[in-house]
Amino acid sequence: MRKMMVALAVLAMAGSASAADGGGIKGSGSYGTAGCGLGSMAFGNQKGAIQILAATTNGLFGTQTFGITSGTSNCGESVVGLSGTKTFIEANRDALAKDMSRGSGETIAALSHLAGCADSKAVGAKLQQSFQAVFPEQSISDEAVSANVISTLKTDKSLSCGALG
Amino acid sequence: MRRLLLPLLAALALPTGARAAGLDYAEELVSAARTSGLARDRQWLRLGHWRPRAVGGYESEADGPAFFLSPRGKTDPEAELVATLRGFFAPEPKDPARQHPQCQFPARLAFLARRLGIDPSRLPARRCEKLERFWARTQARGVTLVFSSYFLDNPASAFGHTFLRLDKGEEGGGGERAELLDQGVNYAATTDGGNAILYAVKGLTGLYKGEFTALPYFYKVREYADYESRDIWEYDLALEPDEVAMLVAHVWELGSTWFDYYYLSENCSYHVLGALEAASPRLDLLSRLGPVVLPAATVQALYQNPGLVKRVRFRPSVRAQFARRAAALDPAALDAVEAVAADPAAPLPEGLSPERRAAVLDAALDLFDVRHARALVEGKDGVGELRQRLLARRSAVPVQSAPLTVPPPPQGGPERGHGAARLGVGAGESSQDGSYVALSYRAALHDLLDPPAGFSPGSQLEFLVTDLRWETEHRRLRLEDFSLVDVVSTNPLDRFDRRVSWHMRAGASTVRDGGCRECLAGRFDLGGGPALVGAGGAVTAQLAADSELAAAPSLQGAFGSGVRLGVGPTATLRLLGGERLATQASAGLRFLPFARPDTIWELAAETRLHLGPASIALAWRKTPLDVEGQLSVLFFR
Repeated sequence: MRKMMVALAVLAMAGSASAADGGGIKGSGSYGTAGCGLGSMAFGNQKGAIQILAATTNGLFGTQTFGITSGTSNCGESVVGLSGTKTFIEANRDALAKDMSRGSGETIAALSHLAGCADSKAVGAKLQQSFQAVFPEQSISDEAVSANVISTLKTDKSLSCGALG
Repeated sequence: MRRLLLPLLAALALPTGARAAGLDYAEELVSAARTSGLARDRQWLRLGHWRPRAVGGYESEADGPAFFLSPRGKTDPEAELVATLRGFFAPEPKDPARQHPQCQFPARLAFLARRLGIDPSRLPARRCEKLERFWARTQARGVTLVFSSYFLDNPASAFGHTFLRLDKGEEGGGGERAELLDQGVNYAATTDGGNAILYAVKGLTGLYKGEFTALPYFYKVREYADYESRDIWEYDLALEPDEVAMLVAHVWELGSTWFDYYYLSENCSYHVLGALEAASPRLDLLSRLGPVVLPAATVQALYQNPGLVKRVRFRPSVRAQFARRAAALDPAALDAVEAVAADPAAPLPEGLSPERRAAVLDAALDLFDVRHARALVEGKDGVGELRQRLLARRSAVPVQSAPLTVPPPPQGGPERGHGAARLGVGAGESSQDGSYVALSYRAALHDLLDPPAGFSPGSQLEFLVTDLRWETEHRRLRLEDFSLVDVVSTNPLDRFDRRVSWHMRAGASTVRDGGCRECLAGRFDLGGGPALVGAGGAVTAQLAADSELAAAPSLQGAFGSGVRLGVGPTATLRLLGGERLATQASAGLRFLPFARPDTIWELAAETRLHLGPASIALAWRKTPLDVEGQLSVLFFR
């Protein structure tokens, strides 16, 4: 009987371990505020545990947000100018932070385009220097991050980021 | 009252005479369309997603009623064409949530205008503000089909996924295309948060709605390449400017409907090709697909239209980016990467140049993101702070990293993959049953000994595998083995990647030990353990702690029941000789508590020689009561 129990326990543990690996993720519920960040787009206001699997197949992002004719999200716009730049920064916050620390990368190139800056290499160097000013602490909101990035780009006239107004 | 007023005002905007003349013109166009049989035109049928029915006639795959202006539209392409033509001349709809037909169906309008020579000045002018906004947002100049690679950790993505990208053709600051800003067009099921079994049943039987959505490409890159660490393949299509415009217009039309979602057939990949075909009547895509549609097969369908794919790009996952960065570092630097990824304040080796310090920190950043991707998106406590400190440390090194170029993996993209279905014919000899003829069929997709081109190394995913034997001496047909699903995920263990490899199988096997007299037992197998991969992927050695649950009425299971549980180790060695040769040998031992016999074992070896469309397989297996050998030919389709 003991042997059997051990065997069953092993199987049960193997089963639950694989279930835990198997695509289940938990939303922290900390994305309740509106925004275009990945977490808020994926989990919205849902609290507690949800599963990607249950959210949608082959995409974290639901149809309510990005419906073609009915979309309610302004995060679908990635157009040149101030609002497009804001959206982009918020949605790509983590990737942009990494590229900023490195002073180069795809998100910096895209950001330079949206903001109408002359030279993305110069933008990369500037943002790398300004990393602490843009991200003074981790808990800073997405909106504050985008405001900091935009003011950094606007303040340095040599970057001539013309689309920021 | 207001409701009545609006359409009235709209109608009054046209003088009565002009309106009557418009209606005459509409009828003129209707009769011209009828005479020329335009409703049977290939592109019209594609725009409405009508397919011939087995019983005759047509039926549209679109299931949202708003997609049809005629009540008979779903099954009658001509009625819908007539209703569409008349709709273009109709007053503004009463319901403000509905669009005017000119605005709702821009691709139909373009098609009919071209084919019937509609004079635009004789159409009542309508403002389509929402459509214009969508048009401005996409600014499409080109189209790319995007394939995100197999992801075994999520059943919904195990076969990969495809979607479209509408390319703006704009340049980023550095001269590179700013692809992140392009618009992605995704088709996916809208699921409702049920449990996994319900999900599977609904997914297979069309109970979920599938809908098209449009979202910036960067969301997809963040989701797939960063969050799920899946490599992405991008196929730029050689479409004419009018075909690109037609596609955008048709995607808009699809936005107002849904399709019943079938996981195996009418899935994401199917409807993406359907949209492409509707925009470009010269293409033949859906006809290249089998009854089960896999994303990789839709990529291959592109290639069957010569010249359609004009460029392929590989977009590495964060895991692949890390591997590339790590490959450029010496052992001492790799130690530092490990240390810094665990503790952002860990010291770096003395005397490193700023460039080397930047390289170590760049690799550590990617490693951190690989390890904590989920925790970061979920906002788990502490993880973001650690990352912040690591980023701050990197930013303090005044070196701008050079762009990282990651070459595509040697096995290539999904276009190089073998067909998912596999038919095997062979002959064998069993010590228990004598000689036999073997016949096997697999619905999908790939096992570890199949031709490796185009598939992720070490990943196996098989669906509906049946092995039949005709025993020539006993003149008896036997179901030797059946797998509903069989998954193997091999994660090579190295200093940075400590994920265990695992496998899972559900199916049935013939019992070849003393447990019963060659009965067929239902089986569930689950196990895992470390795997080592060497010699550039040519050698894989794996040790696993395995469990198997077997049940059959005649099985001498635990406590006299028909169910037994086996636990024990399996050792596996796999050798690959380029893309031509694959060999695997394994030895497994299982303890069966309270069952008879109480111990079983199995030794097995198989080698396959790949000769293009077919492979030759030689297999040998020894079990407590049986030794057998088999030679067969495998065909992929």
